[in-house]
Order: sequence, then structure tokens, then C-alpha cells
Amino acid sequence: MAVTAVHQLAQCITCHAWSADRSMVALCPNNSEVHIYRLVEDKWEKVHVLQKHDQIISGIDWGARSNKIVTASHDRNSYVWNLERSEWVPTLVILRLNRAALCVQWSPKENKFAVGSGAKTVCICYYEQENNWWVSKLIRKRHDSSVTSVSWHPDNILVASTSTDGKCRIFSTFIKGVDARDPKKESRFGELIVQLDLSSSWTFGVKWSPSGNTLAYVGHNSVIYFVDDVGPSPLAQNVVFRDLPLRDVLFVSEKMVIGVGYDCIPMVFAADERGIWSFIRYLGERKAVSSGSRYGSQFSEAFGKFYGQAKLGVSNDAVETSRTRGVVHENCINSIIPLSRQGTQIRRFSTSGLDGKIVMWDLETEQDLLELLVH
Amino acid sequence: MAKAERFVEADNAEAIITRIEHKSRKIESLLKQYKPVEALKTALEGTYAMTGDERCKSAHWIVVHRAIMAIKDVDGMLSSLDPEYYDILMKYLYRGLATGDRPTCDQCLRIHEKLTEKAGLGCILRFLTDTVNTV
Repeated sequence: MAVTAVHQLAQCITCHAWSADRSMVALCPNNSEVHIYRLVEDKWEKVHVLQKHDQIISGIDWGARSNKIVTASHDRNSYVWNLERSEWVPTLVILRLNRAALCVQWSPKENKFAVGSGAKTVCICYYEQENNWWVSKLIRKRHDSSVTSVSWHPDNILVASTSTDGKCRIFSTFIKGVDARDPKKESRFGELIVQLDLSSSWTFGVKWSPSGNTLAYVGHNSVIYFVDDVGPSPLAQNVVFRDLPLRDVLFVSEKMVIGVGYDCIPMVFAADERGIWSFIRYLGERKAVSSGSRYGSQFSEAFGKFYGQAKLGVSNDAVETSRTRGVVHENCINSIIPLSRQGTQIRRFSTSGLDGKIVMWDLETEQDLLELLVH
Repeated sequence: MAKAERFVEADNAEAIITRIEHKSRKIESLLKQYKPVEALKTALEGTYAMTGDERCKSAHWIVVHRAIMAIKDVDGMLSSLDPEYYDILMKYLYRGLATGDRPTCDQCLRIHEKLTEKAGLGCILRFLTDTVNTV
């Protein structure tokens, strides 16, 4: 089984992030606090509670190198937390937003972070040494609706964002004084590099591949979009899949992506030698599920009523409960975070969901996927 | 996937309606030869090229409706239908269900059940979220 551990840490988790050595996890239990748990002899102990936000925290990121935690909340603020002695000290970052902050991510060098918000803007924040505070620069133009997720390109300058207007946009966040000038890639702050209009529904969960050559994001219409050679002439592919939409994705290698969402089981997508992406399988079970047993008990009742009229009372007993599928998460999976890297590949990752569980997954046990990873 | 054209000039609409009439004749002949599955495939083909105003969409719906009502063996039909047509068929099924007409709804419901088993809930979601390519 790919699952190595299941931890029920709260009733509902909105987001989580791991410390650099993976001994501590910071999560938001669907309120305005951040709880930090440490694994002490097989048991999870709550070691810190960070209370500063007024409303639900929608994004947490823990910088691996700087050991700083950045949180973004619906109260339109963001805090950067520093560990001083054994206390986490918050520093307010004035984002200048008039709507909720929805997602946050440290840049690869951890000198900047990006915040996506309901105010149709992306805030890029950087540290100003002279004044000892974090300054926020807004990318105001172009978005027609809330920015649901942001992701940094490995070069520390490009940021991809997805929005509920269905588009994925890539901006340059070059800041004089923070970023080194690259004569090959001259760009101004906030310049729109590419706009991808592939989906007619809300888009979520954008991520770059380890090399930065490929981009993946999901739409609420149960489609996952892959874009290769991101630039002036990108190659886009839609992969349509059977089930409920995804919410977040993770590149475990250049050619393999794990998607998580409303179906409570991670889905594996991979590109073959020709570069064509397709759905491989679920991580929860090996065999393809027979069509009759797809739906849980709630669905079978609803479908029974729905079809009962046409069938004139014949009972629809082709459906079984979802418990027989061996699902680990019981509710929508919100986020997927890498746990360990081997070169540019990720073998272990964790997922957290609305059921309050954090589940750790390990691909070492999945022989067929490892073979695909190696290529 | 290219964005669907939103504006159809008046003469383009006429061209589309002519094409639909052409298709309708082809479908009638296929149905006479007892090939309802072929008829449905012909009806669903090239629908994305059928953009445009309400007239075109209604004309197209009439043709597809004829083909849907002629299907007797739903399982057989679905197993020989190309998966790329699942999404478009689902949209027409919902249009059929919206008519409220008893025989149409019965038939559409019957096909809907089997199509959902085959294509999954994702198919229904794609119908719900696609506000650009409506039928």
C-alpha cells in the first residue's frame, strides 16, 4: 500500500506545511490559528499554537532554508513567523488587500513570497533590510476573478497563477535589488508573460515541473491541463478524467504528476515517451474498479430515486458503498506537499483534507509507478 | 482547444442550417436501414463546428433527438461510441431532460444512467461547468 501513515490531527484541515527536517508539521484546523505538531516517539504533540489572525487561515508555507513560516488568511493579512529561542514571533506583512488572501508560497530562494487573493491580485512580498519589514508589491492587472493558487518557477522570478476566471497566467516578478538581473530574460515586474485560456471553469492547483519546462493545473470540470515548453508557443494538453474534480497537483518527477481532490484518492498521471500525458491509475487500489461500485451509499440512494422512475420500481443494486474501495481520506483532499526528494524526484508526499487527516504516502511500494518514474 | 466562435454571421447560420438538413436526411436513411447507432454517431459528429445562434442549436437538437429516440440497445450503443462523444452526448441528454416531454425524458434518463456508469461523474461536471459550448 502506498499509504505509510494516517494521522487524525483535527476535525478539518485547510492547509498544512512541514518543517525542513519533517519532524514538525504546521496546520490550520479550519480556524484562525496555526497548530504546530511535533512527532515525539510515535505520538503527535502540539508544541505551538500561533494566534494572530482573525479569520480562517487559507495558506501556510514553511521555508526549508530560512525556517520561516508564512501564513495568509481571509482577514486580508499575512504574517511571517520567525522562531526566536522557542517562540514563534509574528511580523505583519501589509498586503494592501481588500479581499481575503487565498494562497501563499515561498519562492525557491525564500527571499520573496507570493500571495493570491480574492481581490483579483497577486501580492509579491520581499524583505527590505533597511526598514526591517516586508514590502508588498501588487500585480493588479489582468485577473478577472479570485486567484486560487500561485506557484513559483525554479528561476525565482516567474510566478504562475490560476484563477476562478478559468485562466492560468504567468507573470514576471523581477524586483530591482532583490533579483539578479539576467540579460537573457529582461522583464519588468508584473509583466504578463503567457496567458493560458484552456478551461471554461474555475482553475486550481498550478505547479511547475522540477525543471520549469512544464506546467500543470486543474479545472473544476474534471480536466487536468498540461502545458509543455511554456513560453511564446506552448504545447497544451487536456486530460479528461472520469471522476470528481481535483484540487491540487504535485510533480513527483518531470514526467509524473499526482493529483488530489474531491474523490479522496490521489490520481497518478504520467507522460509517455512522446510527451503525451494520460491517467495511469489511482493510488488507493491497483485493479480498475468495476463500473457498478463507483458510488458511495449517498449516491446510490440519489441515483436510485433518479432512475427509479424510468425503471418503474426495479431496484438498482449495481452500486456498492465506497467503504469497500479502501479509501483513506473520507472527504475532499485539499493539498499535497512533498516530503522527501531524491534528486529531482519525489518519492514521499503528504496530503491533508477536509476530514482532518494528514496522510503520508510513499511510492517505494508501487513498483509499476517506480518504473515510470525512472524514465 | 480553441475558443468557440461566439458570433455567427447571418449567411453562416444559413450554411449551418443547410448542413444540418443534409445530416438529417443522412440520419433518416440510416434509421431506415435499422442502424440507430450509426445515426446517433452522425448526429453527434461535428457538433463543435455547429456554433451559433438559437436557431442552429434548435435545428441540431431536433436531429439529435430523432437519433436518440431511435436507440433501443443502450449498452450496445455506448460500447461502440467513441469516448470523445461522451461529453457532447451528455449535454444533449440534459437538453432532452429539460424538455419535460415524457417519452423523451424516459429515454434520456435510461441513457443517462448507462452513460454515467461508463463516463463517470466527470462527464456530468463537464456539462455543468461548460458555459461556453452549450447545445
